[in-house]
Amino acid sequence: MINPVLPALLGLSLSLFSAAAAFSQTRTVNIYSYREPALLAPLLARFEELSGIRPVVLFAKNGLVERAAAEGENTPADVILTVDIGNLAAAKSLKIGQPIDADILAPVPAIYRDPDRMWTALTLRARVFYVSRKRVDATTMSYEDIAGPEWAGRVCTRSGQHPYNIGFIASRIAHLGSEGAREWLENVRDNLTGRPTGNDRAQVQAIFSGVCDLAIGYTYYMGLMLTNTAEPEQKQWAAAARIIYPTNANGKGTHVNVSGVVLGAYAPNRPEALELIRFLVSDEAQAIYAQTNFEFPVVPGVPPSDLVASWGEFTPDDTPLIEIAALRAEASRLVDEVLFDDGPQR
Amino acid sequence: MTAHSARAAHTGPLPRILDVLIVLVTALPIIALAALAISGFTGPASAGILGRLLPLAVGETFVLLAIVGTSTAVLGLGSAWLVTHRRFPGHRLLSWALVLPLAVPTYLSAYAWVELLEFTGPVQTLLRGLLGVESAREYWFFTIRSPGGAAFVMSVVLYPYVYLTCRAFFALRSGAVEAAARALGAGPVRTFFTIVLPLSRPALVVGVSLVLLEVLNDFGAVSFFGVNTMTAAIYATWINLGNLAGAAQIAIVLLFVVGLVIYAEVAARKKHTYLMPRDSRTPHAPTALSGIWGGVASAGLFGVVLAGFGLPVAQLGFSAIRHSAVAGIDPGVWRALGQTVLIAGIASAACLVLGYVIARRMRRPGTPTRFSLLRLGVLGYAIPGTVLAVGLAVSLGTIDAWINTGARALTGAGVGLILSGSMFALVYAYVVRFLMISHGAIDAGLTQRGDGLLDAARVLGAGRWERLFRVELPTLWPTLAGAAALVFIECVKELPATLLLRPLGLDTLATFVYASASAELFSAAALPALMIVAVGALPVFAASRLKILAR
Repeated sequence: MINPVLPALLGLSLSLFSAAAAFSQTRTVNIYSYREPALLAPLLARFEELSGIRPVVLFAKNGLVERAAAEGENTPADVILTVDIGNLAAAKSLKIGQPIDADILAPVPAIYRDPDRMWTALTLRARVFYVSRKRVDATTMSYEDIAGPEWAGRVCTRSGQHPYNIGFIASRIAHLGSEGAREWLENVRDNLTGRPTGNDRAQVQAIFSGVCDLAIGYTYYMGLMLTNTAEPEQKQWAAAARIIYPTNANGKGTHVNVSGVVLGAYAPNRPEALELIRFLVSDEAQAIYAQTNFEFPVVPGVPPSDLVASWGEFTPDDTPLIEIAALRAEASRLVDEVLFDDGPQR
Repeated sequence: MTAHSARAAHTGPLPRILDVLIVLVTALPIIALAALAISGFTGPASAGILGRLLPLAVGETFVLLAIVGTSTAVLGLGSAWLVTHRRFPGHRLLSWALVLPLAVPTYLSAYAWVELLEFTGPVQTLLRGLLGVESAREYWFFTIRSPGGAAFVMSVVLYPYVYLTCRAFFALRSGAVEAAARALGAGPVRTFFTIVLPLSRPALVVGVSLVLLEVLNDFGAVSFFGVNTMTAAIYATWINLGNLAGAAQIAIVLLFVVGLVIYAEVAARKKHTYLMPRDSRTPHAPTALSGIWGGVASAGLFGVVLAGFGLPVAQLGFSAIRHSAVAGIDPGVWRALGQTVLIAGIASAACLVLGYVIARRMRRPGTPTRFSLLRLGVLGYAIPGTVLAVGLAVSLGTIDAWINTGARALTGAGVGLILSGSMFALVYAYVVRFLMISHGAIDAGLTQRGDGLLDAARVLGAGRWERLFRVELPTLWPTLAGAAALVFIECVKELPATLLLRPLGLDTLATFVYASASAELFSAAALPALMIVAVGALPVFAASRLKILAR
């Protein structure tokens, strides 16, 4: 009654199918990307135009570093594009990368690349305050300010365990020490309007709706909302808020995180991968990042977009990112211990 | 029985090897997860797990499970009973329309409901216009981004699991017991609670367990609503502490608890014997609901379909049209549509064949112990998708490494990745996740039909292949088509495993939606999202026309 041949045939034809897909005539570069394809599209289109190399992208939000590690020396990954210093640190500790040629990395300032050349940052984003135009008068603030009692019931942010906030809270630990950061985080928690929910855009919406007066978020979301033609109502939400670049009380500047790139340890198309990385740190690519995604170029001398420039100048925190990355686990434990994601406790 | 025993005697070594293989293959994700968890004890010093929020998360998870479990039980059982026992306006249309929310993934329903009910959505905007206020602080409105909101959204899309199992049960059941109760003077309410409810418990439990497992492995919808669940704790442990092993340990504990609950239910049910006479001579005769009650039943059930299907689809349709008008249609959407249908089709076929083989093997005397291991596989369903996917990626990668070592030793050259990062990995993940659905449906179908026809064919001298193609398949096909439809829908909706295991450069509709949504470009996600629902609703519609799901 049962024919064991059928499942076997099915398996065989499937593996043949996947093997056939691997053959290709043109030069290609395989990208494992934590960055959304829509954000990469303009950059990769220009790269293909210039080099004739076809980029093939695999996007996922989590687990790509682990997948590359599991695939080992057979992995097709030539480069891994990531957001957040945490992913860059994980890529290094899982040994899925190899050193990038020093001359390619030359344009990038030393604090934004790995000393062992295992990764380099490509863009910067600043963790800032979005404040209500109507209900907030201040034009300069420090991160310490939002712990004060005058902000009770006025502050919003996304989940404390989201990597965007973990990197930020790690930088608080770097500047305030463990105990200082805990006290600060507890006070900020008690100033929240409720439980942290939603994404960075939702925080801007909350300011628009009057639920909160100040939110913590990345700069580039404001740029994306203010120029959103597909959902024009977002322009209206964003217009209700403005940006303050907070400083640290110890004189350090605004916390920045990065998006970056890793060269795959077993990159089957190594020359193409290096060509892509060389392109990504070029002035042209850096300008595309700045114009289409409103991030800050990591290469000095390339200006931000006019819109971003209109928000004023700021000084980025110059604490090396690897020092902050080393504090991420502690930050996550801190968020857990003070029950930040449970909202105000008083 | 004698025929069964005679067949069992013919069991050779090949089918036995096949049995072991099937069990191993379906248990692989659990084995991989356990290996990950154990590596945390043997590897370098652990980064620990996030312990403070965990008890709270456990509490919230169980509250969510309790609410969604109860409400889907009420909605599913109630609607199934109504459409099979009562006649009211629209009952025929509703009998299949009630299945439609199954085509809407929870993450899409969550998005659509938030769009509708949040501050900037149409409902509150209208309300502010009527009240003449501007700020959210000037009036009170239900917060959709809350645990209550999550429970609501999940209930209205997940109840069809209960509806389907209960309706199949009611359609089959003889009306004799109920008729006797009524004849002895029990009113309709008492009959329902003392006869119908206890009798339908097995069907109810099957449906509700599927719902609960779905709730447990959900991350998308839950995180969107700001609920602290165990899944959130698992992710934070993995991503922020860099402790994948710790995440696997929490997942294992979660699985253990789920396993205990399911076991307790089965053990409790064993005390009762369920006699299900297939006596078609006493069919339950549906009675007509009069006037106002007919209207109430009709409006209530249409309301449920509207909440789980109509409104989310309308919201997505609106966004899709508006976005396409401004930005055009990304050609990648059409590619994704083709690939989705192809992969889901292959996986459904595989699930059908395997589900049939297992259902048949399990009916032979002497095999149940081996296959009871298979039931372990169903627990894989409750693991947060991405953690399961990482477990699979690691184990498939390991097998690939062995294959390559072997190939090098034999031929001097590696063969590259064969299992991981291929269509195989994706189809395999789907089969492992959804085999239980096809197997369950086919097993129920075999029970319902019985083996009398096969035995008759054998007596008349039909060979094994003739019996298969002229008796078995023709009489079983509605069941097979129904099972295929259910698995197909699940494959089309599946996100976390698809995202992480798919081949380089391949996109399905679900990954396309996710990529746009995580760039916070929700309107760009609307059209492919609508296609997911359409591709899923199509089999529901077709099956209803063919009276398959109605059985």
